[in-house]
Amino acid sequence: MAKVILTVDDSASVRQMVKFTLCDAGYTVVEAVDGLDALTKLSGSINLIITDLNMPNLDGIGLIRSVRSNTAFKGLPILMLTTESQDARKQEGKAAGATGWIVKPFTTQQILGVVKKVIG
Amino acid sequence: MDKYQEAFLEEAGELLSELESALLALDGNRDDTESVGRAFRALHTIKGSGSMFGFDEIAGFTHNLETAFDRLRTGQMAATADLINLALAAGDQIKNMLDEAAGRGIADQSRGAGILAELRGLTGRAETPGEAEAGRPAVPSASPREAGSGTARDFRIHFRPAPDVLLNGTNPLLLLGELRQLGRIQVNLDLTGVPPFGELDAERCYLGWDILLTTTAGLEAIRDVFIFIEDNCELSIDPVADAAIQDQPAAPQNAAAASNIRVSAEKLDQLINLVGELVTVQARLSELAARKDDPEILAVSEEIERLTAGLRDNSISVRMLPLKNTFERFRRLVHDLGAELHKDVELRIEGAETELDKTVIDQLNDPLVHLIRNSMDHGIESLEARRSTGKPPTATIRLAALHSGANVLIRVSDDGRGLDAEAVRSRAIEKGLIDHAARLSEPEVFSLILTPGFSTAQTVTGISGRGVGMDVVRRNVEALHGSIEIASQPGVGLTVTLRLPLTLAIIDGLLIRVGDAHFVLPLANSLECVELTAGDVREAHGNHVANVRGEIIPYIRLSEYFQMGTARPEREQIMVVETDHGRYGFVVDQVLGDHQTVIKNLGNLYRNVPAVSGATILGNGTVALILDPHRLVQNAVQTAAVRGRPEGRGARHSNSHDRIHSKGKTRR
Repeated sequence: MAKVILTVDDSASVRQMVKFTLCDAGYTVVEAVDGLDALTKLSGSINLIITDLNMPNLDGIGLIRSVRSNTAFKGLPILMLTTESQDARKQEGKAAGATGWIVKPFTTQQILGVVKKVIG
Repeated sequence: MDKYQEAFLEEAGELLSELESALLALDGNRDDTESVGRAFRALHTIKGSGSMFGFDEIAGFTHNLETAFDRLRTGQMAATADLINLALAAGDQIKNMLDEAAGRGIADQSRGAGILAELRGLTGRAETPGEAEAGRPAVPSASPREAGSGTARDFRIHFRPAPDVLLNGTNPLLLLGELRQLGRIQVNLDLTGVPPFGELDAERCYLGWDILLTTTAGLEAIRDVFIFIEDNCELSIDPVADAAIQDQPAAPQNAAAASNIRVSAEKLDQLINLVGELVTVQARLSELAARKDDPEILAVSEEIERLTAGLRDNSISVRMLPLKNTFERFRRLVHDLGAELHKDVELRIEGAETELDKTVIDQLNDPLVHLIRNSMDHGIESLEARRSTGKPPTATIRLAALHSGANVLIRVSDDGRGLDAEAVRSRAIEKGLIDHAARLSEPEVFSLILTPGFSTAQTVTGISGRGVGMDVVRRNVEALHGSIEIASQPGVGLTVTLRLPLTLAIIDGLLIRVGDAHFVLPLANSLECVELTAGDVREAHGNHVANVRGEIIPYIRLSEYFQMGTARPEREQIMVVETDHGRYGFVVDQVLGDHQTVIKNLGNLYRNVPAVSGATILGNGTVALILDPHRLVQNAVQTAAVRGRPEGRGARHSNSHDRIHSKGKTRR
């Protein structure tokens, strides 16, 4: 069965690119516009979350913390989208329990490479 | 412009409106952190997405503004009227740049530079994204798997993730898988960190791995595999000096090639025989241990079982040879025959690397010579005939080998005139091999040419056509427990497929029981095992078919087939087996489990019992017959379909001669 990836980003264009890329590679993609939206769409069928860090309502770090605090999603892989200038945020995300990160700007091959790395 | 860029331009327009409204709100209330956050996020997204989709100039410009708002956000700077006005102007500039990108108008670069200069004046900092983001790869793992030096090197990797590694969603197995893609790896599991059972926490990872990796990739590429957890694990990656690897058991292949030794085939056969005996004795030990139920003996017995299986696989693999040598020899044959027959023939070889037991290969030469000769002589037309039918003047003979379960298929095909099913049929009737009324499928008709004395060739040449060829092929192949299948299309060509077992020594089998007799079915053909209840039998109205999850599977009840006269138990089991004739079920009383089967020959007296390919000795000393599912089904199909049998009154296709007695115990 196709693996399900929840992509969380307030930028529609980035979401679209991530979605097209992942769908092309055979994954099923669920979209969320921010952390709060993501929490409502989180379910047992999700295999991976890819989240931006800067978002309104609930940001990426907050999302990672609330996902990890739910025992049902303790081991769920989470990738964060960071920029190179956000090193402190990256550390914060790692401490919150992110599995890995993708540095923006990224190409479609890069995102597929990292997704494959964490969910195979 | 691609679809992503268009989407970005549209989105950036919305973000600029958002930026503007946030700035205006901030102008009304200078301490409004909410508005600062909104402005920052809008700028951040424009920058991030802009660089994603190739708008580097916009991203670079926006970056400076974003930095300023980040400082506002963290309280390092206060929102002033100047800053807000400048930010509004900058927003307009971004809009112009977006318009330019969309092909509408031109952005004034000097104005942009002016805004940045003013911004630097306000923040007192000079910063461009070029300085902040240069020189580092964009994505950790996506840095190209650069070839370090072009030649493969060895690395010794020690990797022990922190115990809580699973909790952040890391799967260490995937990392090992990633390493495997870099080259050849040998992995040793380090279990020293595993605590006593009582202290074991299922959510923690106690394992470590020592890995020997042979790769052309550089150290960086290896390090990148672990990048997400490099500060959350013990990790050391050391290049291994070449001399040190020689001592390793898993030395690279070039080293192995240099250390080949020649061993006489006889010694190898002895080794296989001994391993066979060992497997038999091990089966007895396992049974004894299971009966005694003593944990200590059980542990030893399990260990021996594992070692024996390893020894078995190893020693069998020693006897495996690629078909290459055998196949290549036929090039000369094809060349010489071509010259003699004035035919231009090309031999194409496929799958020559396929490995087969040496004893099988040894006996394969004659049948293949026969088949190729037949193709050259009868199959392939003369040059003139080929030209008149529009075929390329150079004929092709394909010699191909491939794996199929526990079998190897060897195909000899030509693009000659093929066989005419009608001609074969009338010839068979003429020779009295089949009855006028016999209804045979095409493969069955073609298989008639395998009967002794059958030949459709009009003339006898020095090369073939005496009608002895094909039955010799059949005898040879059957001696190897193989089978033959012929497919042909008149005018297009002929394909003969030989199905041969991988090995004649030891196989993985499934032990089954019918009455008090045991049988072994080759595991490689077995698909699944389901129950057959009295209800199922009733529903089929006396037909021997079962409904397995919607699929209708014909079955053969072994106790009936062998006329064993045992009482039918309340519940029977069906082994579903893949055969040449599709899926078939064998109904047995009980499926006992898998069994390492040492194949023993039954001897000449039982040569003609077609459904049984050999026998094996079980742990308790009983003999179990090894069934050949293909031929068992073939027999059943033929006895049902053929009125006049293609052969004399011999035992071959006669059910009643297959009566089996296997109750005798061997004395040890």
